Amino acid sequence: MNKCWQAVLGIGLLLFIATPGVRHAMEKSMWCHMLVQFPLWMGAAALLAGGMPARICKVIARWNMYGISGLLITGVTLAVLMIPRVLDQALLHPKMELAKLTALVLAGMALRLSWRPAGLILQFFFLGNMLPMMGVVGWLYTESPLRLCNAYLLDDQIQLGNWLIGLAAVIAIVWLSWITWRITYQETRQTSHREM
Amino acid sequence: MIRTVITSVLIILLGWSAASWLTYDFQIWTDEDARRLEVALHPVEISPVQIEGPDLAETDLPTLLRQENVVTIADFIYTRCQAVCPSLGSIFQQIQTALLNDAGNERPRNVRLLSISFDRKHDDPPALRAYADNLSARPELWRFVRVLQAKQEQALLQQLGVVVIPDGRGDYEHNAALLVFDGAGRMVRVFDIEEHQLALDYARHLARKQIQETSL
Repeated sequence: MNKCWQAVLGIGLLLFIATPGVRHAMEKSMWCHMLVQFPLWMGAAALLAGGMPARICKVIARWNMYGISGLLITGVTLAVLMIPRVLDQALLHPKMELAKLTALVLAGMALRLSWRPAGLILQFFFLGNMLPMMGVVGWLYTESPLRLCNAYLLDDQIQLGNWLIGLAAVIAIVWLSWITWRITYQETRQTSHREM
Repeated sequence: MIRTVITSVLIILLGWSAASWLTYDFQIWTDEDARRLEVALHPVEISPVQIEGPDLAETDLPTLLRQENVVTIADFIYTRCQAVCPSLGSIFQQIQTALLNDAGNERPRNVRLLSISFDRKHDDPPALRAYADNLSARPELWRFVRVLQAKQEQALLQQLGVVVIPDGRGDYEHNAALLVFDGAGRMVRVFDIEEHQLALDYARHLARKQIQETSL
């Protein structure tokens, strides 16, 4: 997909999910709030980042060697947004909602701009921190006898916990399969080169 | 590389301060705990809300709470509730028994109980009276009221940080808790329903302190 289209699609998607109707629908349940709204906003922002002019990307890259700053932005943002208080606050105060959504956009853009420069080792380090965190938070959500958010039901919280653990596992499997595929693919290509 | 290092340090500092701001220096993680901490630090004044109940002429909540030297432990209920309210009811029964015993001892006698219904439409005074009789509530110690206007009810719930959500099975879920009001009608503490003994002890302590202060 070319840059222009990515930017247009990103902006379009952002505008769509920012409309009050869609926003409220996504915030109706706790698992939807964290596992549909968060990835959608980050995804739209990632598309937008993909459509950024090369000139700006170059300037950003100077501050983002090996994608370290960017992955930090994503990691720190997600860690903060997983504090249960954030969900309640975002529902109660428009300012907090705005801050939450801005942070998600930043995190999505940062992830897109940093993933490739990071390379395998840093990607592994990033996922090695993020996925266990997701798993632990998910486990806390399923095991807590108390409601952690006043705005959501206990069943909903348990569901979110299970989904978080599941999602962490899926991301880990997908990334590992991709790595395995890439490495074997490269090796076969190299060996076939030698044979020729 | 130096640029990346600077940015990274800044990001970590920013994230750290955001998290520490959200969690009051990593003391609390949920909004409910934040609310309890905030109330303990800054008592909450409530705006006038018209209420009525059995044996109670129409009045407003601050006036009811602001009786001299009286400390009130309040909870939010609705009479059709099947989930958490019965346990709130039995906790209030236990507190009432303790308060009745206090009269014989040298404990302060100015602690009162108040159950506020948030099911305005259904819980009229007769319904509240039936509910109170069922729990053998003593009207001189334990009152039941409902808020008259929907708008004021919303405002009250918001001021007190009570969030009511339908649970999809015809019931409501709410952050059930024991709210302690001082003689000036301000909410001064919020206790978990598990901590009812603590709530009672705190209310007694506050009641005694208020009597001493006025007698001085």
